Amino acid sequence: MEITSHQFKKTASLKLRDQKVQSALGKAKGKFVVARERAVKELDNLEEIRQAAADMRSHCLENLDSYLEEWEKNATAKGTVVHWAESAEELNSLVVEIAKRNNVKKIIKSKSMIGEETGLNRFVEGHGIEVKETDLGEYIIQQAGEHPSHIIAPATHKSKDDIADLFAEKHQTPRLDDIEALTREAREILRPHFLTADMGITGANFMIAETGSTVIVTNEGNGRMTTTMPRVHVAISSIEKCIPTLDDFALINRLLPRSATGQSISNYVSMTTGPKREGDRDGPEEFHVIILDVGRTRVLGSDLRDALRCIRCGACMNHCPVYQNIGGHSYGWVYPGPIGSVLTPAYKGIENALDLPNAATFCNQCGVVCPVKIPLPDLMRKLREKQFMRNLRPFAERLGLKVWATLAMQPFVYSILTRTLARIGKLIGGKKRYLRKFYLVGSEWTKQRDMAAPQGRTFREIYGERQNLSKKEDVR
Amino acid sequence: MSARENILSRIRAANKSAGNAGSDSARVAGRLSNPVLGPRPNLDWDPEEQFIRKSVASASTIAQTDSMENVPGLVNQYLTESGLPRSGVCWGEFSQLPWAENEIEMEFRPATGDDKVGVTGCDCAIAETGTLVLLSSPDQHATSSLLPETHIAVVRKRQILKTMEDVWGFLRERPSGLPRQVNFISGPSRTADIEMTLVYGAHGPYRVHIIIVND
Amino acid sequence: MRVGLFVTCLADLMRPSIGTSTLKLLENAGCEVIFPMTQTCCGQPAYNSGDSENAKRLAKKLISEFADVDYVVVPSGSCAGMIKEHYIKLFESDKEFLSKSEWLGARTFELTDFLVNVLRIENIESSFQGDITYHDSCAGLRELGIKEQPRKLLSKLQHVAIKEMPGAEQCCGFGGTFSIKYGDISGRLADLKCEEVEQSGADTLVLGDLGCILNIEGRLRRRGNSKTKVLHIAEVLAGENLGDETPK
Repeated sequence: MEITSHQFKKTASLKLRDQKVQSALGKAKGKFVVARERAVKELDNLEEIRQAAADMRSHCLENLDSYLEEWEKNATAKGTVVHWAESAEELNSLVVEIAKRNNVKKIIKSKSMIGEETGLNRFVEGHGIEVKETDLGEYIIQQAGEHPSHIIAPATHKSKDDIADLFAEKHQTPRLDDIEALTREAREILRPHFLTADMGITGANFMIAETGSTVIVTNEGNGRMTTTMPRVHVAISSIEKCIPTLDDFALINRLLPRSATGQSISNYVSMTTGPKREGDRDGPEEFHVIILDVGRTRVLGSDLRDALRCIRCGACMNHCPVYQNIGGHSYGWVYPGPIGSVLTPAYKGIENALDLPNAATFCNQCGVVCPVKIPLPDLMRKLREKQFMRNLRPFAERLGLKVWATLAMQPFVYSILTRTLARIGKLIGGKKRYLRKFYLVGSEWTKQRDMAAPQGRTFREIYGERQNLSKKEDVR
Repeated sequence: MSARENILSRIRAANKSAGNAGSDSARVAGRLSNPVLGPRPNLDWDPEEQFIRKSVASASTIAQTDSMENVPGLVNQYLTESGLPRSGVCWGEFSQLPWAENEIEMEFRPATGDDKVGVTGCDCAIAETGTLVLLSSPDQHATSSLLPETHIAVVRKRQILKTMEDVWGFLRERPSGLPRQVNFISGPSRTADIEMTLVYGAHGPYRVHIIIVND
Repeated sequence: MRVGLFVTCLADLMRPSIGTSTLKLLENAGCEVIFPMTQTCCGQPAYNSGDSENAKRLAKKLISEFADVDYVVVPSGSCAGMIKEHYIKLFESDKEFLSKSEWLGARTFELTDFLVNVLRIENIESSFQGDITYHDSCAGLRELGIKEQPRKLLSKLQHVAIKEMPGAEQCCGFGGTFSIKYGDISGRLADLKCEEVEQSGADTLVLGDLGCILNIEGRLRRRGNSKTKVLHIAEVLAGENLGDETPK
């Protein structure tokens, strides 16, 4: 997917004023936040489980090469064909190679964010192979020619009316007004494709080293169809998704659905180990897994490595006050919200996503809900530091910081300056004691807010006078 | 060097530069041979009661009986009350039950896109989350619980385990190891992709009916 | 008990009544309050902007200014959090200042936390009365666990009723330089907070961080609301600045 994060500010402003987007975001916030809170109450030892999950993920990353080798050994023993890809192009080409070798004309696809990263659909379609997204949200945005705005609910920015119009146009059917009816129509349109597709592509939530399995957690049933009906199944994954054992999966699976959608467990958990066995009457003849490393090892060797613990639940963005008001498209790449603000510069280059780590208040609403305790504000701060060190911040900002710091190191000059500012500010504030407009510095403040005028004296001088007074009294 | 070699060596280099000693093979081997059981929440409930509670909460319906012979009758009752056709496909393990006697046309084969009802058993069930566990095999067709609009699952009470971790013991003891697919099913298929509104019957079954047999 | 007062750069410049209120509360409770006159800034603006060099310089200065006290009290969750939680991150590879930061961090408290958990204040006398609602500033809440402490203190005031907002814990949109870099988004968050404040039915909003005060109050006034008062908890507890006079 091409990156448009440099348009963050402009897009965010547009989204803030877009009534439709605001209404959709409001609905989503209410559902996701409330649902998660209810679901985690079922875990009386939530913090203990979170810590164990964070430790387990860190342990995985520290030993990632060993676990991947173990996973590959066990997967291969069960007939899985394992591929490794070092670039988006390599992954896309591998998929097309497998498809061509197997005379694939039609592919059904269950959600994959890695597929979004690499632009898989467009590449495959460019080779004359039909690709049908089957997750309802992904299907909707595929029809609309858009990118997902959320990693769990890709069409969250679209209203029922948008979707009704879209279906009427694309399906050439009478326009439906009812959400259930729209869902049913999508089911009926997609069902024949499930039955006739030659190949299925899924992502993988996890790869379990102990058994050589891949796991997907889904709700709609399209994931199960995609892994069972076609004669070839390709799962695309990335290196950091490997976890050691089945018990580790059970642990993390207590947190993933609760954090994502507020469910105790997702409707379907599908654990695939190899292709069809002898005697099986359903299942693919070939099962391929492609393991991707684009940017992951670079992040692994950096001070941002904690971000690789991510299990893609979406809780951080659901709870982020910034995301809640600007939506996913503002972030300009595959992953929005706090995790996107870290991964986008980490994977696509810091200079290509300058706004993202800066457009945060560091409220830490994200860090508190992250099931694997990723210190997201700290990682965003590290990115700000890298920007600063590479002189990527605007000149005015660097100058302002330098001036501020220099003054703050000089208490005497500082005290005089602040005294003066306090008086001038109070004067300008006038009787109403409010400043209405800043020019240059801080002008973005006064576009939407007044600023209370300073009270007129600094604490330092008040305290100083008090000390002098009491000294005089002592002398007396 | 292949992509595989490149990636693995980059991982090792990255971990070294992050100050780790590199992969601790003893620890890895230890964890793989003695999997770590993580912290679990309070499990102070009766498995059957919890299973029923969570299944109902995920929009499945429940019937209970104390004999396998009663299952076809209960299926007839359910299909009639729901206005559904009294025919379908079923796993082979139930072929000896009195289906015809209970006015149900049952075929013992994988489901196709035209079958409206699929009857399956399960390998075990998870009480904590109201989940059915179905392993794929020559006799346990994955399509039967997926393609039809109605999925009826027969669960023996003694198959109900407390947590997912308890399922692993059962899986690890299988001489043939893991089958192609282990499916954990917790209710009818659903989606909330349109305006966050929950709708049942996305691509999988619209409804799941669970018959618990206490024999 | 020698209690150092770090008044914060913002309060010093904009709203010294927060400082004088804090001083009054501490002295009434029997503390010997030390105010290092050379104090300026804890370094947070530089730290959050990625300028760790200047952040370190300011941090070292503060650390040396407060080297000779038993406690440091700060009427701000974010500045207290900077000293308690972030100095150790700033100096993680500097043995000398890491240990000094640990020493200082252990002794640094946000004001309400100090009053409740260290001084264990029983009585508060204040002339403040009315219906209030409380905004939980993010750093105080999530870094320092400040939630019950201000409410406990407010409940000791006789003629004060607390009307909680459902979104009391939601960020107000200040975020330091975020408010002037992303004014649109910041303004929207402030707006949402103002709506909650107005819907609560309270006539005063009380909170513990001046950054949030300036942000929310600024948006309230721009929205045309000149009635709702916005006060720092120190002011409420000390009975100061209730009628908009400059403290003497």
